[in-house]
Amino acid sequence: MNRTLTKSFLLALALLVGCEVVVLVFFARNMSGRFEYGYHPTAGVVESDDGVVNLVRAGGRRFHPQTLSARKAEGVFRVMTVGDSVPRGPSLHDSYALQLGEHLRASGVNAESFNLAIGGFGARRSQLVLKQALRLDPSLIVLHVNNSNEFEDEREWRRMREFQSGHPKNWLMKSRALRRLHELKTEKLFWQWLPAAIRNQRAVSDADAEVRASKNDDTRREWDRLVARTLAEDIALCRQAGVPVVLVTQATHEPGKPLMDAELEAIARPLAGPDVLVLPMRQVLEGRKDVFSDGAHLKREGHVVLARALADLLRREHLLPRAAPPAGGQ
Amino acid sequence: MSFVSWQYAIFLPLVALLYWRLAGRARIWLLLAASYTFYGVWDARFLALLLSSTCIDFFCGLAMVGRRESLARVAATSATPVVWLGGYALFTGTTAAVDGWILVAAGVFPMLFTCLYAALWSQPAQRQRRAFLLFSILSNLAVLGFFKYFNFFADSALALCTQAGWNPGWVLPKIILPVAISFYTFQSIAYSVDIYRGKAEPVRDVVTFAAYLSFFPQLIAGPIERPNDLVPQFVRPATWSAEEFHRGLRLILVGLFKKVFLADNCALLANHAFDSKTELNAPWVLLGVLAFAFQIYGDFSGYTDIARGSARLLGFHLNMNFRFPYFARGPSEFWQRWHVTLSSWFRDYVYIPLGGNRRGTPRMLFNLWLTMLLAGLWHGASWVFVLWGAYHGAVLVLYRVVPPLRRLAESGEGARWRVPASMALMFAFTCVGWVVFRSHDMAQLGAWFAALGAWESSDMIGWVKPAWWLALHVVPLLALQAATWKARDEAELLHLPWALRGVIYTVLFVAIASSAATDVEFIYFQF
Repeated sequence: MNRTLTKSFLLALALLVGCEVVVLVFFARNMSGRFEYGYHPTAGVVESDDGVVNLVRAGGRRFHPQTLSARKAEGVFRVMTVGDSVPRGPSLHDSYALQLGEHLRASGVNAESFNLAIGGFGARRSQLVLKQALRLDPSLIVLHVNNSNEFEDEREWRRMREFQSGHPKNWLMKSRALRRLHELKTEKLFWQWLPAAIRNQRAVSDADAEVRASKNDDTRREWDRLVARTLAEDIALCRQAGVPVVLVTQATHEPGKPLMDAELEAIARPLAGPDVLVLPMRQVLEGRKDVFSDGAHLKREGHVVLARALADLLRREHLLPRAAPPAGGQ
Repeated sequence: MSFVSWQYAIFLPLVALLYWRLAGRARIWLLLAASYTFYGVWDARFLALLLSSTCIDFFCGLAMVGRRESLARVAATSATPVVWLGGYALFTGTTAAVDGWILVAAGVFPMLFTCLYAALWSQPAQRQRRAFLLFSILSNLAVLGFFKYFNFFADSALALCTQAGWNPGWVLPKIILPVAISFYTFQSIAYSVDIYRGKAEPVRDVVTFAAYLSFFPQLIAGPIERPNDLVPQFVRPATWSAEEFHRGLRLILVGLFKKVFLADNCALLANHAFDSKTELNAPWVLLGVLAFAFQIYGDFSGYTDIARGSARLLGFHLNMNFRFPYFARGPSEFWQRWHVTLSSWFRDYVYIPLGGNRRGTPRMLFNLWLTMLLAGLWHGASWVFVLWGAYHGAVLVLYRVVPPLRRLAESGEGARWRVPASMALMFAFTCVGWVVFRSHDMAQLGAWFAALGAWESSDMIGWVKPAWWLALHVVPLLALQAATWKARDEAELLHLPWALRGVIYTVLFVAIASSAATDVEFIYFQF
């Protein structure tokens, strides 16, 4: 026994077990959820005891870093946008989520807006973000409806399931202490110190499989059914919370063709009601292909146009609170 | 099967457990089965090539000491490659799994080899040994040359013809490079040459020889073992020793640290800097080459440590391949510290047969340079590897002919600044070599050196934080090397107090875990 297990080995083992116990007892809540690949219920939303909430890049949920209070102040109109890389925008400030806030404030509404959109998030993962958004006391939810991220959602779901299974490749990360360390290094160093061009080397690259899947009619129909089902659930959640919703349906374009929406408007329209408005991007941006940076994403100008259309819609449908009188006004 | 895969984490303990439960010949059979499984996971078809080499070198080795085998036995043994391929095609249910020409070649091999074997025995007695040696060497080089260099030379010839204004219209087949071929053919050659020189005894039993040639810890990327070092360990039954077991685990731990923590993280920066699409500036040139220097060191020396550790768990001792190479004071010392078994292979089987230093200084310098050129070509079928070999040959020659450099590289008394200065200079020479080694082609190489003058570039991404990333991964390695320096072995910590060793093991393990969950292949598998 003494010869097989050396004192140094036993010390190393004791240190590792000690770390594990410390993490289990004191830091169990600090797991970022990286190995849940976006399916962690609260990843990226860090609430401190004083009621301040930070949206951070963590646990496979790459929020634009933002800070807000858990409860909105009296008289504030809080808008939260949930969706994928399109509403995420070229930058936080240039996204239609933030531009909408600026428009509203310019027109005298005491508004604050937050962008909770995350690139690559499809209907199922966006629903988890929506649940977090609804906990943050919103006055309005803007839900960007798209059906082009279901492949990624499915892939990440499989990765999460595989991690939760007993597959030997994940045995090391079953340790809470090692997983926490791995997550810390990834979130605090890998993401902070290395630019995207370098980080992307470790990104999953299955673009070919995604293109093949998206060209399959049966797969697309399946995705559409999934989006419709999840969207109905999203709206039920918002109604339950008493929060009105605007569904912004994604439009895409190809050179020489009118804007298309891949049946998204048809999915969204039946769900419309007094507390559920639909704003098709196709309708807003028809004739403005110059505002697209590629087939689906928008340049800053596109976000500004969309934000203005959203503000107009909210005003038209009386979803905005009465504007505060201008300072020094009568 | 990769050493850093989860499959290997199950495979190795299983093999070790079975190995120590078995006795005598059953262990040899187990090692052979384990080695062939280990290799077959990559591509089971190429086991036929390994079987062919085994067959040729086994019978040639015996023939060189005058032992003649029956032709029936020779024919039956040499039929194993075609039997294997046929079985593979049947098992996979498709004949397309194996190219027709490979099946034909494997089918012809038993007849051809048996005839040649018989013909060589009919040579006059004084020429027989030499004939068998030549046959063994040439067949090994032919296999290596065809699978590794056919495309390179054929493409080069085609390019030359096209440049000369003649398009021959050849459509060249794309030959797949079998994993490990460079390593096991060199080990085979060493076996035959050492028997011919009377330095080693041939293995009398084909199963033991096959297990020796395919020994899985060192099959894929070395160390390249000599018959006298490894064969006796197959013949003598090993006895269990807790110390050996601990040493094996230590080597594996250090190897994983070098590969997973150091190499794979440095690779992120090196891959970016050596990407042909990256716009380079001087800081990134320097950062990229430093990252690659530590990547390739961590990758290859880490592989060797895991190989040696795995072998130790089975009671085998493999030779050290790396001894703090970046602390070398000159090129000769560098090659005594870097990929030691390959350097000594080239010294014993190329440099010395070329004449070594016995024919005057100019010839010695030429021999040195030519040996390094061939060593460069061994690394890969590409002109950049040839240039890399020529460059290192030139550095060796430079240190021999320029007295201040020679004095700087020599150990002994002198000013205190000489040691760090000589190490820094040699490290700089080594890094220039790595730029050549890592470049895709000559154009990229030129762009690299041109970028050394570009200190301002608005397009280039920031380099300060990536430099911190590099330091984060290199500094722990340097600390480990400081701790092991006294023992002159990169994985030896026994001279330290047990408590400190325990802390170091914990830190190494935690460092590995912090970087796990990536699947990055070893660089030297491609050679």
